[in-house]
Amino acid sequence: MPRRDDIHKILIIGSGPIVIGQACEFDYSGTQACRALRKAGYEVVLVNSNPATIMTDPETADRTYVEPITAEAVEKVIARERPDALLPNMGGQTALNCAVALGERGTLEKYDVEVIGCDLDSIRVGEDRELFAHAMEEIGLKVADSGFAHSLDDAKQIAARLGFPVVVRPSFTLGGAGGGIAHDGAELEAIASQGLSLSPEHEVLVERSIEGWKEIEMEVMRDSAGNGIVVCSIENLDPMGVHTGDSITVAPCQTLSDPELQRLRDYSLAILEKVGVACGGSNVQFAVNPADGEVVVIEMNPRVSRSSALASKATGFPIAKAAALLSVGYTLDEITNDITQATPACFEPSIDYCVVKVPRFAFEKFKGTSERLTTRMKSVGEAMAIGRTFEESLQKALRSLEQGHAGLGMDGTDDFAGLSEDEFASRVAEPTPERIFFVAEALRRGWGVARVHEATGIDPWFLHGIDNIVRAGRRLHELGTAGLDAKTMLAAKQMGFSDVQIAWLTGTSAEVVRALREIEGVRPVVKTVDTCAGEFAAHTDYHYLTYEAAPVGGTAQSEHAPSERPRAMILSAGPNRIGQGIEFDYCCVHASAALRRMGYETVMVNCNPETVSTDYDTSDRLYFEPLTFEDVLNVCEVEKPAGVVVTLGGQTPINLASRLKAAGVPIMGTQPDAIDLAEDRERFSELLDRLDVAYPPSSTAQTVDEARQVARRVGYPLLVRPSYVLGGRGMAIVYNDGELATYMAEAAHVSPAHPVYLDSFLEDAIELDVDAICDGTTCYVGSVLEHIEECGIHSGDSACCYPAFSLSDAIVDRVRRTTRELALAVGIVGPLNIQYAVKDEQLFVIELNPRASRTVPFSSKASGVSLARAAAKVMAGQKIADLGLPPEDREVGYFAVKEAVMPWARFPGADVTLGPEMKSTGEVMGVADSFPKAYAKTRQAIDYAMPEQGCVFVSVCDRDKRAIAPVALALRGLGYDILATRGTAKTLRAAGIECEVCRHLSEGHPNALDEMRSGRVSFIINTPHGHDSRGDGARIRGEAVSRGITCVTALSATTALVQALAAVRQSSLDVYALQDLA
Amino acid sequence: MNPLVCMRPPREALLALEDGTVLRGRCAGATGEAFGEIVFNTSMVGYQEIVTDPSYAGQIVTLTYPQVGNYGVSAAAMQSGAPALAGLVVRDMCYEPSNWQSEGSLPELLEREGVVAIEGVDTRALTLRIRSAGAMRAAISTEDLDPQSLVARVCQAPGISSRNLVADVSPRQEHVVPAKGERRFRVVAYDCGEKRGIADGLASVGCETVVVPWDTPAERTLALGIDGARPDGVFFSNGPGDPGQVTATAHAARELLGKVPVFGICLGNQLVSMAAGARIEKLPFGHHGGNEPVMNLLTSKVEVTAQNHNFGLVFDSLGPIVPEESGGYAEHERDLRAWCRRGVAPVVRTAEMGRVRLTHVNLNDGTPEGVQFLDVPALSVQYHPEACPGPHDSAYLFRSFARLMEGDADYLDIDVREGRRF
Repeated sequence: MPRRDDIHKILIIGSGPIVIGQACEFDYSGTQACRALRKAGYEVVLVNSNPATIMTDPETADRTYVEPITAEAVEKVIARERPDALLPNMGGQTALNCAVALGERGTLEKYDVEVIGCDLDSIRVGEDRELFAHAMEEIGLKVADSGFAHSLDDAKQIAARLGFPVVVRPSFTLGGAGGGIAHDGAELEAIASQGLSLSPEHEVLVERSIEGWKEIEMEVMRDSAGNGIVVCSIENLDPMGVHTGDSITVAPCQTLSDPELQRLRDYSLAILEKVGVACGGSNVQFAVNPADGEVVVIEMNPRVSRSSALASKATGFPIAKAAALLSVGYTLDEITNDITQATPACFEPSIDYCVVKVPRFAFEKFKGTSERLTTRMKSVGEAMAIGRTFEESLQKALRSLEQGHAGLGMDGTDDFAGLSEDEFASRVAEPTPERIFFVAEALRRGWGVARVHEATGIDPWFLHGIDNIVRAGRRLHELGTAGLDAKTMLAAKQMGFSDVQIAWLTGTSAEVVRALREIEGVRPVVKTVDTCAGEFAAHTDYHYLTYEAAPVGGTAQSEHAPSERPRAMILSAGPNRIGQGIEFDYCCVHASAALRRMGYETVMVNCNPETVSTDYDTSDRLYFEPLTFEDVLNVCEVEKPAGVVVTLGGQTPINLASRLKAAGVPIMGTQPDAIDLAEDRERFSELLDRLDVAYPPSSTAQTVDEARQVARRVGYPLLVRPSYVLGGRGMAIVYNDGELATYMAEAAHVSPAHPVYLDSFLEDAIELDVDAICDGTTCYVGSVLEHIEECGIHSGDSACCYPAFSLSDAIVDRVRRTTRELALAVGIVGPLNIQYAVKDEQLFVIELNPRASRTVPFSSKASGVSLARAAAKVMAGQKIADLGLPPEDREVGYFAVKEAVMPWARFPGADVTLGPEMKSTGEVMGVADSFPKAYAKTRQAIDYAMPEQGCVFVSVCDRDKRAIAPVALALRGLGYDILATRGTAKTLRAAGIECEVCRHLSEGHPNALDEMRSGRVSFIINTPHGHDSRGDGARIRGEAVSRGITCVTALSATTALVQALAAVRQSSLDVYALQDLA
Repeated sequence: MNPLVCMRPPREALLALEDGTVLRGRCAGATGEAFGEIVFNTSMVGYQEIVTDPSYAGQIVTLTYPQVGNYGVSAAAMQSGAPALAGLVVRDMCYEPSNWQSEGSLPELLEREGVVAIEGVDTRALTLRIRSAGAMRAAISTEDLDPQSLVARVCQAPGISSRNLVADVSPRQEHVVPAKGERRFRVVAYDCGEKRGIADGLASVGCETVVVPWDTPAERTLALGIDGARPDGVFFSNGPGDPGQVTATAHAARELLGKVPVFGICLGNQLVSMAAGARIEKLPFGHHGGNEPVMNLLTSKVEVTAQNHNFGLVFDSLGPIVPEESGGYAEHERDLRAWCRRGVAPVVRTAEMGRVRLTHVNLNDGTPEGVQFLDVPALSVQYHPEACPGPHDSAYLFRSFARLMEGDADYLDIDVREGRRF
């Protein structure tokens, strides 16, 4: 069927802020959908609250609404834009839920909007456990059988029906506390009775245990003519029991035979039809019993997903793009394969390499929470690697994580000392982020594949692969440097060993290994991801590097086409992590576009499969490679770039800059020496002194004694942090000697090569973020962002506003002047970011980042100036004066607010407070004609609803007591009841504010927790008392998270929230298209 | 297996092509030498089915998926009694497979069956070489490790079209394969190297099959029905090599068309088409894989198919187009995908067998994949509806044959989902 002509305007809903489980893969899919549909001649309207996305760039869609993804807000957009159709399956579960809500409230009917891509019923069947189980039964497939029990007898009956072992999961307990696997009646009695008593609803789910089964995912597409294809099969290395997002996964499937896989293909296509996916892409997950091949359907998602993004990158098949075209009537045979440009999309990609994805975690940021991996996803990002074998890809993927490993250990980072045999054995058995290293160590210790399989459930095929790596490592160690002949070197590289690992194993340095390789001619070859295993010529330059034996008398074949045009290489940001995410990918994508327009052939290097930068459409050439020195230098040697951009991918490429330059690689824009000048606190302080710019008194220390001396000199509180890190990792505020000593003891692990910095901490100062560009002679200040939260809360976790809403023009002027002065003095050519603190009309420089910052996408969208593009042009030699940028001090008639999104609910047990270490995963943006309204939109974008009535629980620390009265008064004025702890209540009553006193947790019932459980409390204001994360406050905040109650932990944010609540009462919030703001 | 992991020093092997390319690798099967035509197969799984597919007789098969042997081998996956291929080329061989059905490893099977195999070579570079230069003569040797000598011997080796490979793989004796369930038809199958999956496919639609040698005369075949009557249908199987060499079977096909319903697969398709006067061409590097999209022009549905052939028919050599049955179009199209876009299944008039309709087209390269005879009861396809390995989309064709034998005019109009039923 050809393109539909009866629809013209299509609404796409994005996925909102980056949260755990829903990350930038939906920017990738949404952007593809927008572009594909516009190219097909449709007008595209987009709603997404996430400003850090490429999809919300004004040029991606025709009409872009950075608005909350709530039915109310989207209805306003529909009323204004009157789209013919709604495409809901590009924005994850958020978009599907919103579509269902729009359907339920009658909006779609009222405005005659057709849902395309999937229908609302299929979304329900996909989501609803019971409907889905029923549908599967009807086509003869099994799901993991289960039943809810409200008593021990119920549980026994269900277990009798299912057969042992069964999994018992108490409902509504924090992190599934109290559950377990029961292998017999006695165990069931113990676990179920405990679970029933722990569950607030006295309910447990009794489920047939399929832990240890193979977990297989199929990425399937179907068109309206009924043609179906499997784009990719993915096998989880970690068996059932670990969420697929937290598992190491491998594509294609490795341990199933052809009949087994074809059966899953038949099932998958039948499931799509049964659930009602008329056309589009879906993800179907199966569990396969390794003992007899029995298959159970786990779930299906009638939409694009993280896995479909992975499958697209793994195969070169653009699932989202194809799904978008299918939704408007095209059939698979009518869509051309981008890569071959000669064959249709109606085929199943064949790949001739192995893909391994490894998740990246951030448990170090959430102390107190268990690192055990479960069916609830906790990873914050992922890295993917392509190699010719599982062994090679696994090692590449592990070094892509940038967590200090140069591969599967054997690099000097292995540390298994201090564990007893039992402890070691349990670390092997328990799924955790580091488990893979314990598995390798167990094999090194001679456990054998069978015993490790017994302990972990990991398929022996994968264990043999890991064992191969371990054995090869041992062999390299035995051979030593003298044994590193060309043959051995090639064999080592084919097993994925990095130069760093080979050096460690043979007792030499990475430099020597590289030099030896050069002499021996063991160099990587370029291979192409072409969807067809070489059967047809590829027309896209999507590459990876690997090592292959040369033919006799020749050199190994490299699929690298030389080019006449100069090449600009862009190093992106690697796996998403807290502090370095989609924002940097955004910058890299823009740089690529700008440099392409300037005539460069752009070469992107990245290893993050979720991103737009690793779409083969984004740059002229894409190398899917780890961002380590060795791997990047390998790409440089192949591509011989005219310049490498290191200032747009966050800290990752910055850290490589000086070594690359030393290796003779030309760096574009800001030079490594200037980067060092900005990042070396001592050099930078000297510069500030010379320029007479104020900064908080600071010093460095390497030992506890030195640190104490600094404390005497500078005084407490101190902001302490290691150097050269991003996202404030390891950063803390210390108030006394004891805390300082504890910190120094822990800091050694963070960055041993560098000292710890101690800055005087400016309490109650206003923090500013400034994004600017400098061309070496002129500096353009793109935005001055005023933070809502005070200094001391990481800028990434703080809300901020453009333009500054409480600062005088004189201060903002001074900020711009100082920025200009510093940019020129440091020698910036490209982007920079400066953080300032303003206290008592005084301006302090906190830090200067000689690179694009996390706020660049927000600044660009808020100000209407694409700073990343401008920065790329400047790095390529253009002058700011020629870029046609609007005046810095122009008046804009609106306010744009950015607010951070926190992942607390994923980390039960971790304390819910903001501090100098960044913990947020994403951000939302709100635009309105006043600051409170814009802030209200960000709250709606995060929580979907504002607490409009009820009772507010207030408990603040002494420091905040004086300031709480006006806030409480305003709350009373808005009609809220106030519930306060004794101390806070005393202050409030003294100010004549009526409030109810609530017991401390130790004082019996009803206390604050009881009040929250009763549903009375609609939000919480709780500023932490001191630093005891185990006190009442922590428990109250933890309870708030698990119940989804808004909890504000900084007074400044409280003020903003109260203003926002008032603003929403006074008038309704209008929606704005970005295209209308400029 | 990576050499760093080998317990003992690996045995060296060479792969030489007639263009002078020589790749050094390690022995991954039997020792010895194998000469043949080098081709590549892009299926990611199903190596055992490929290795035991008799159509690969005379060929050295390169598997493009780099890690081979992962789930072992089993008796159930055998497509014939023993591998017929000349040799196997892989990037990385698995010696310790893992799967509940595994009864042994692939290298063990190869060694036991005397199949020479090489690993450790850059199979992707080799594939790109075959793609650009076409299928070539080649040799794997663990004996002659002198590159020049091996290339010279490859250049002297006979080509694949020099002899009748079917005679090597076809059975000497007739035998009967029972129907699954109730017997609905008695069919005679010319086994030119028939895969077991095909025998299973025929049995699954109720065919009791008398499997006969490739050179069985038509008269004999016509007497193999129940109680000496004519059989309900005749099937021509897949098989190795150049169809021009298989003259006895081609002759039988010409004799049988029009007398009984006929179904042909792969080589069988070529033989049936030749009987109608078609010219056969050799494709540059053939179709070998499990992901080839084929459109059924009668339903406009696409099947993802398993394929394994180097030869194919030239559709326009069958005869002139019959415009009134071809949507008014009178001219042949070299690229048959034009008919897909028009939604027309063109009909030609052949010199010998009346009208023949093009029913299936390969969407990757526009080559013909299936025809049906309109004036005699016959259909044939170039690809493998039995899959083994590959997707099940085309399994409906066995039912089509059954419906043809029942005299159903719409015998090809079956939803591809039928084949995916479980």
